[in-house]
Amino acid sequence: MSLSALSLLLFSPALLPAQDVTPPAARIVIQPPSLELQVGETATLEASVVGIDGESLDEEVFFFSRARRSVTIDGEGKVEALAPGQFTIIARTRRRGATGEGQEGRASLGERLTTEVSVTVMPPPLVALTLIAPEGRLYAGTEVEFQVQGTDDRGAERAVAALSIVSSDPSVAAFNSFGQLELRKPGSFTATAEAEGVENSLDMQVYANPVASLDLLVNSDEGRTGDVLHFSPLARDLNGSPVTEVPVTLSFTARFDDDLGPAASGQIEPDGRFVAETPGIYTIIATCGGTTARKSVRIVPRNVGGKLKLVGRGKVYDTHTSDLWIWEGIDGRDYAVTGTWGGNGDAIFWDVTDPANIERIATVNVDARTVNDVKVTPDGRLCVLSREGASNRKNGVVLVDVSNPREPEVLTSYDEALTGGVHNVFADGNTIYALSAGRRYDVIDAADPRSPRTIGSFELDTPSHSIHDVWVEDGLAYSSNWSNGVHIVDVGAGLRGGSPTNPQPVASYAYPSGWNHAAFPYRDKETGRFYVVAGDEAFPFGLHTEGLPTYPRGWFHFIDFTDLDAPREVARYQVPEAGTHNLWIEGDVLYGAYYNGGLRVVDISGELMGDLYRQGREIAFFLSADPDGHISNAPMVWGPQPHKGNIFFTDWNSGLWCVRLEQEGKN
Amino acid sequence: MSLALLLSVGLGLGPATIEQDYFVYVAAESADEVYVVHFDGQHADIQSRVKVGYMPTEIEGPHGLTVEPGGEHWYLSMAHGMPYGTLYKYRTADNRLVGKVGLGLFPATMQISVDTGLLYCVNFDLHGDMSPSSVSIVDPEAMVEVARTTTGSMPHGSRLSIDGSRHYSCAMMSDELVEIDAGTFEVLRRLHLDDGTGGIARPRDGGHHDAVTKPTWVQPHPDGKRAFICLNGSAQVVEVNLKDWQVSRRLPTAKAPYNLEVSPDGKKLVVTYKGAASVGIWDVDKSVELARIPTTRRITHGVVIAPDGKFAFVSSEGIGSEPGSLDVISLSTLKRVATVDVGLQAGGIAFWKMEKRAQ
Repeated sequence: MSLSALSLLLFSPALLPAQDVTPPAARIVIQPPSLELQVGETATLEASVVGIDGESLDEEVFFFSRARRSVTIDGEGKVEALAPGQFTIIARTRRRGATGEGQEGRASLGERLTTEVSVTVMPPPLVALTLIAPEGRLYAGTEVEFQVQGTDDRGAERAVAALSIVSSDPSVAAFNSFGQLELRKPGSFTATAEAEGVENSLDMQVYANPVASLDLLVNSDEGRTGDVLHFSPLARDLNGSPVTEVPVTLSFTARFDDDLGPAASGQIEPDGRFVAETPGIYTIIATCGGTTARKSVRIVPRNVGGKLKLVGRGKVYDTHTSDLWIWEGIDGRDYAVTGTWGGNGDAIFWDVTDPANIERIATVNVDARTVNDVKVTPDGRLCVLSREGASNRKNGVVLVDVSNPREPEVLTSYDEALTGGVHNVFADGNTIYALSAGRRYDVIDAADPRSPRTIGSFELDTPSHSIHDVWVEDGLAYSSNWSNGVHIVDVGAGLRGGSPTNPQPVASYAYPSGWNHAAFPYRDKETGRFYVVAGDEAFPFGLHTEGLPTYPRGWFHFIDFTDLDAPREVARYQVPEAGTHNLWIEGDVLYGAYYNGGLRVVDISGELMGDLYRQGREIAFFLSADPDGHISNAPMVWGPQPHKGNIFFTDWNSGLWCVRLEQEGKN
Repeated sequence: MSLALLLSVGLGLGPATIEQDYFVYVAAESADEVYVVHFDGQHADIQSRVKVGYMPTEIEGPHGLTVEPGGEHWYLSMAHGMPYGTLYKYRTADNRLVGKVGLGLFPATMQISVDTGLLYCVNFDLHGDMSPSSVSIVDPEAMVEVARTTTGSMPHGSRLSIDGSRHYSCAMMSDELVEIDAGTFEVLRRLHLDDGTGGIARPRDGGHHDAVTKPTWVQPHPDGKRAFICLNGSAQVVEVNLKDWQVSRRLPTAKAPYNLEVSPDGKKLVVTYKGAASVGIWDVDKSVELARIPTTRRITHGVVIAPDGKFAFVSSEGIGSEPGSLDVISLSTLKRVATVDVGLQAGGIAFWKMEKRAQ
């Protein structure tokens, strides 16, 4: 059949003539039909094609692995096992010439002679179990964690399945169903662990508990909801001497100021930190063996409530609005620039000197569909616009002279190594940090804004890393990297010898959700602690760009970076049924863009622990509903920025807003 | 998108007796949408619009499209991710997402081989340093990447030989045509594509190249003996003899030829001119441009030809908030017969099916 004749027949794949799709009458025979290999072991598969009558057919068979990072196969059928598990190798005949069809023949995927070969790769054998007892002595009347570590025949750590661990004398010490070791009375015992035929034992001694009395101290008898109180148990022996190495367990009971069904009320950590969410009397109980101590404290309402009052609007209805920047111009007046999302590539300039009468003064159009981020240099002269969706796919950034914001002048477009799209930028003096294709950030010297040049770059070295945002303050760059979390990089702080041309990593922290979208540093003067507040972005229920409101999720994570080598996530601010976006911190106040939850203003003073929302630390909120919005009555707050006593923010559906906080609470 | 943009425009120039309905998929790269467009021989209209991607507030960039042999599924390459792109698999029956697999940086054009049943997708990687990128080879039944073959810088125009046994792609920034054995996944041959005046790819640091001819698309001819390639940077379409592995003919074109398609009978060549807002229709045997037809939007992108050879479907991107468009061109009258606006930056395009219309 000629190709032209064939094409005439092919009106549709669905109407493919039956005679062109010959059902396989033959089969592929593989020897051996399945494989069981150890990691690192190889084997070879032999393939032949047998006809319906058992005759050998001269057909070419090729192989591929459906898990090539765990088991590989080459063109000769040689299989190599790389990782444990159950995998499939496919053997398939090549169809070329078999039917005379061409690419237009469109034989369905399942119409090739194919056979699956099961490959089982066994994990390396377990050869040793190591029992890891807690450090220090074991004391009767306490409970400790106990670990067992497996080692394979190559000396690597290996997960241990079906571990059994028993005590030789349960009256002295016994393992509970969670693997914890309950120390019951003085004496000796042997702990024996067994898994996969491998066994190991450890002899241990339980000592008499020397604690004869307990006191419980606290740094304050009264606190507000959200205040972190510090409890310190003081154990003594019969001689009255302090005992420090015996673990003391802390718990609490609560009697609330109301009895209207309050929820869980507080949190205490093993190190004695306590925070309450609900006002009332709390009794902290310290226990060590048979000895206890109690201490009660009063928790009063935080009373920081306020009200956000609308001051003015800069309405944008014809497209979605993205980020904003507010600055004092060189003429002493105040200005704002806002970006647009999924539109025409506009950046809009506003005079906000009188925030009750915000005036739209100029628009700069660039070749883009989204101007996601806008920043202005501290001297108020240069504006940086990010570009995504450029018609030539070169994207990059656009530098605009805003010495006179009423007549902004585009100086240059810069896309060197930024063609994949710039989602966020930051202006640190005349040094621009610009994301490149969600993969890294480049550092651009814009001292001559008509001729910018790339002088540095920072990219993680983890597999499949990505980046969403970067913020620079005091020589440290804080990047938000989705599942790679927050990374702090020295670009001139002097911590690691870094500079804009030679960024040097300082510290990082990642959390499991992978939603890390924004980050803002915060140093608490009262405690001296150094936090980075990391915001999520998540749309588990999708994003409606037209017609319907959206219901994002996520929260602000408070990561204590005081010890840069051991960052800890200590607190969160989580508004139920809503999702975070950008944030700003000024003084001890967090201004949070909480998408459908509106603008949130939060007291973050003092030490932080637990859920700040539930602790009554929220000062005020504002829902930017607008019946004329791009999506009607659907608050979707994108980014906030306090400026000269006012709070400006953008809403994705309605443009620029200005509100002012009226304090009501006593605190 | 306003209702007005969704309205179709029939130009009334099509044959009066077309009894087929035609369906194509078109991707809107800056809107994260895919459109199913229906054409009845005279009018084009949007049958459905599919939102795609997983990062709602970012432009992920749906770029390449192909329909599975048998027509049960369509596949979409998504350019951006975190940071790698993704191949998605949807059912044609209801446009429901049924599978996905991560690929390389900016996966772009792709096709499924009739020989192996595997899908071959180039990782375009047009960002940053021009280092050699790759072709991802995917088992579309399991949606697993089974191999990744390194080719050249910015590979584009992923197409298979007529028997499906050879894969061809252009390396746009190293001026190469690369041939891969579809079954062994190994590179068989490379051909440097110059502009015929002695201009060749110039070595740069690290072995990379400053492109001269910037080949963007390759399409084997149905006779299996030759392939046509767009030299985007040199305003040429070249014919390469696949046996001799040499350029056998050069066709001077309008500015920036980008995609092309050969009609099923092998007689016509339709070339999109990205820099000239138009489409060129060529007589393959006579090396003559029969017509140059302006497209509705300025940045002309992709083209597919219906299996009956009667119509070419051309996507055009537009600029800024200007919508993309799909133009339908009659290959008999050599005129644009219908157009319909779609989403922002319409690029990737794939022919789905023809259906005989009930009388």
